[in-house]
Amino acid sequence: MRNYFCLLALALSMGCASSGLQPRSGVPVTEMNADERGFVAGTGIESQDLVTVTDTMARTILDTPEIQHATQIPRIALDPVINETRFPINKDIFLTRIRTQLNRKARGKVRFLARERLATLEAEREQKRAGAFTSQTDPRIQEFKGADYFLTGKLEGLTTRTSAGVSDYILYSFQLIDARTTEILWEDAAEIKKQGLEDAAYR
Amino acid sequence: MGKFVPFLALALLGAACATTSTPDFIRTGDPITDGYSAINQGPAEDRVLWQYRTALEQIRSHQYEPAAALLDAALDRVGGRYGKDRTAKKARGYFSDEASKTFLGEPYERAMAFYYRGLLYWQQGQLDNARACFRSAQIEDSDADGKEYAGDYVVLDYLDGLASHRLSGGGSDAYLRATNSAKLVVPDRYETVGNVLFFVDYGRAPEKYATGNYQEKLKLRDGGSEAIEVILKANTQSIHLGAMDDLSYQATTRGGRVMDHILANQAVFKEATDTVGDVALVSGLILAQDRNTQEAGLGIAAFGLVSKLFSAATSPRADTRTWDNLPKFLAFGSMRLPPGPHDIEVSFLNDQRQPIPSRSKTFRIEVNAPPHDTVIIVSEFQK
Repeated sequence: MRNYFCLLALALSMGCASSGLQPRSGVPVTEMNADERGFVAGTGIESQDLVTVTDTMARTILDTPEIQHATQIPRIALDPVINETRFPINKDIFLTRIRTQLNRKARGKVRFLARERLATLEAEREQKRAGAFTSQTDPRIQEFKGADYFLTGKLEGLTTRTSAGVSDYILYSFQLIDARTTEILWEDAAEIKKQGLEDAAYR
Repeated sequence: MGKFVPFLALALLGAACATTSTPDFIRTGDPITDGYSAINQGPAEDRVLWQYRTALEQIRSHQYEPAAALLDAALDRVGGRYGKDRTAKKARGYFSDEASKTFLGEPYERAMAFYYRGLLYWQQGQLDNARACFRSAQIEDSDADGKEYAGDYVVLDYLDGLASHRLSGGGSDAYLRATNSAKLVVPDRYETVGNVLFFVDYGRAPEKYATGNYQEKLKLRDGGSEAIEVILKANTQSIHLGAMDDLSYQATTRGGRVMDHILANQAVFKEATDTVGDVALVSGLILAQDRNTQEAGLGIAAFGLVSKLFSAATSPRADTRTWDNLPKFLAFGSMRLPPGPHDIEVSFLNDQRQPIPSRSKTFRIEVNAPPHDTVIIVSEFQK
């Protein structure tokens, strides 16, 4: 009997405290498609939204009569999208994806102007004009093309926050604007709403 | 009777193995080096906390790019907090401290992470992304218990509107919200804001502490500030700034948390199991004295011990991890200065309106050519 109580006392007095390095278990990298919803998700703008929205936009731009039946290939310049949401984003990524989709699918029906490379292109032209570089055409002739249309867009958001979580609605609207007349030739929009519930431990 | 005791001993041996973690990195005394060590080698659940702290030290040391990268990493984690979270589930359990969850910060801490990221975007000329951060920061503050104090940071609304004003001439709604919330300094009209923007912070961060029998109640107290106002001088210009926001006020006007109720329940459980354990142990041992009731008595005592074990293993301690290098006061002012280098003198004034000599500083800034604003972040604790 006494032995049993000794055993109890020993057990009570023993701490199982451990200290020091915490073992970390790793998770292997998972490759996913850009249009897949990942297992790390928020209510903000994610790759699957980008893919869905830009695919839709690229498809409908090509159906525009001014593009389909143009007698001359329309030249399009990109104007950065306006971000009015609560999510910081790389604004160029939407227009870059629409451009690449259009270039892939339109097969020469539209041409885009590389305005973001203008400084490099101007420097090259100056070198050719100065005779430092060779040129297959007369570099003094102005060959930089003006834009027929501007492709641009706007991201607007609406957020609802409650004690349980947050809901974010984002309207992605894009426009093709006639550079000569300011007319909006084409406009389309996509909307995505997401809702997230927070664990009670963070509330 | 003999059959109970070995079982009891085994139960005691196996029960409630408390694990304490110690920092597994070596501190050098340099807050940035130590911050990176903590981020890379410290406990994963503290990573966001160290990202916040280190980013702010970097901002104060003018290392803006790495600071932006750290804040982006931290805010990605904050933005992805919805849904299942293993550490949060563990923190809600009876046998783990609240601090076992991944630290994301209380709403005022999350709001400040967005605020500083917004300033860095502004510095890079990305005003719409800066505005997005100020809006997200305000959203972090918008689920306060008392709606009176929800989303009431003056500086966030003001900067949201100023960014809109700079981008498209709008921002009047945000300005109105800012002036309606203003309890300290009423901000200037956007038309009067110059091309050099000064974001000044001073005072000490709100302090978290735990009270209650089992440290289950999270409380916040004012970190205090010797400095009350700020004077900035450049060339012949001088501006006098007061705080637009007080973080201690923001931190303490949010009301209770859901987690407070969970911890309170855990504390009740801990107390109840402890009391039941005491009663069962004493009664059991008394009964065990009598040969006729010895077996029943030891059974009751064993139950009491198990109950005490459950009580000992229950951990309702509140999470007091704090973003401790935050300021107390946030101030904003501007000047109109021509492009090029300018010397700036900063004086922090005490409550007698006298400069605090140890806090005064002079530094040189390079003003951008129009139309880009020049964003200067000044801290009382900047070296």
